[in-house]
Amino acid sequence: MAKDLQLVVVTPETTLLDEPVAGVRFPLFDGQIGVLPGRTPLVGRLGTGELRITTATEERSFFIDGGFAQIRDNTVTLLTARCVPASQINPDAASKELAEATARPASSDETIDARLRDQDRARRMLEVSRK
Amino acid sequence: MAKARAFVKRLKAVKNIKKITRTMELIATARFKKAMDRATEAAAYTKKIAEIVSDLSNAQLEGFTHPLLKTPEKVEKSVLLVLTSNRGLCGGYNSNVLRHVVARLREVDQTSEQIELDVCGKRGINFLKFQGRKADHSYTNFEDKPRFDEVEELANRYINAFVSGEIQRLDVAYMKFQSVSRQYAVLETLLPLGQLDSKAPSSEPVDYEFLPSPQDILDELVPAAFKARLFKCFLDAAVSEQIARRVAMKGATENASEMIGLLSKQYNRARQSQITSELSEIIGGAAALE
Repeated sequence: MAKDLQLVVVTPETTLLDEPVAGVRFPLFDGQIGVLPGRTPLVGRLGTGELRITTATEERSFFIDGGFAQIRDNTVTLLTARCVPASQINPDAASKELAEATARPASSDETIDARLRDQDRARRMLEVSRK
Repeated sequence: MAKARAFVKRLKAVKNIKKITRTMELIATARFKKAMDRATEAAAYTKKIAEIVSDLSNAQLEGFTHPLLKTPEKVEKSVLLVLTSNRGLCGGYNSNVLRHVVARLREVDQTSEQIELDVCGKRGINFLKFQGRKADHSYTNFEDKPRFDEVEELANRYINAFVSGEIQRLDVAYMKFQSVSRQYAVLETLLPLGQLDSKAPSSEPVDYEFLPSPQDILDELVPAAFKARLFKCFLDAAVSEQIARRVAMKGATENASEMIGLLSKQYNRARQSQITSELSEIIGGAAALE
């Protein structure tokens, strides 16, 4: 049996979490990834979406917004610009953001990309807050 | 009693000022501690980024370039970001930073280079207005607790401008924090980023799985490293401001104490000389009556 998994979540402002977990799920750039103790070392790019932590007693969920993941020696380190507990997400603000992004006119490739990204982000945030 | 009265009045004023400066010193100390804690917590992020950079550099990355790392051949337009405080009473904090700014502006004036001036903090804004310089952007929302969201907004603007070739250089003038007893004003070039600082490679390189390729990860990592560095400038400036204010207020409190000692001595002397002269008048009067 492998040792416990240690989860560290770092944002530019602070170290948000540093605790042992049983398992963790988070979005990579192309989809969800689940990590259990004993995973091979990995460096990856994070996507936007839900970070779900399973401990022995409970399950918690957070919203994370891009960044990087590093896994080695049973330690998962997530570097992300923003990490908000699901309970603290304001669904109204998220839907307003979505509406704003949808209404924004976009003509060039970059602005269309930016709009899609913002829409995606707002939708995922809503999704996390509904759970 | 006229002269002694004047001393009493001044003494009272100095005592009141001492109370204020002493309180400001205590407040600055408390704020400094908070700002310092934030700065230490933020260091974890920078450290981790450096770690990932060194992890990536173990995975053959020759020939990797990123637009933010490249030095443009010719600098036509540059940005100067000035970090000053919103409030005064912090000794030489602002003037030290602004001295660098003035030197840089003078240097730019002699060439054909264009410069965009972005100023944070009321002190810097007012100083440059007085100098007849127009700030292109000015911010007063960064207090002693700069938030990453706010800094990120700025950083994104610079990244876009740099990548699209609108600007070729970004300098930041701020008070760098080295230790509690040493901070100094610097002018740092943040863009082009130059070398990514990586940690010394760990003794045993780990065989990582990269998702996606190391190149793609670095593409994202470079802007993140830049944002972290810019954020650190803001944090350093906030910490240094509180230290500067504490030192200035400590000096002011000490000076006030000294002044109180001096003034009470003068007051006592004035009072005594008044009593003496009154006494001699009475004695003189009594002698005349005999």
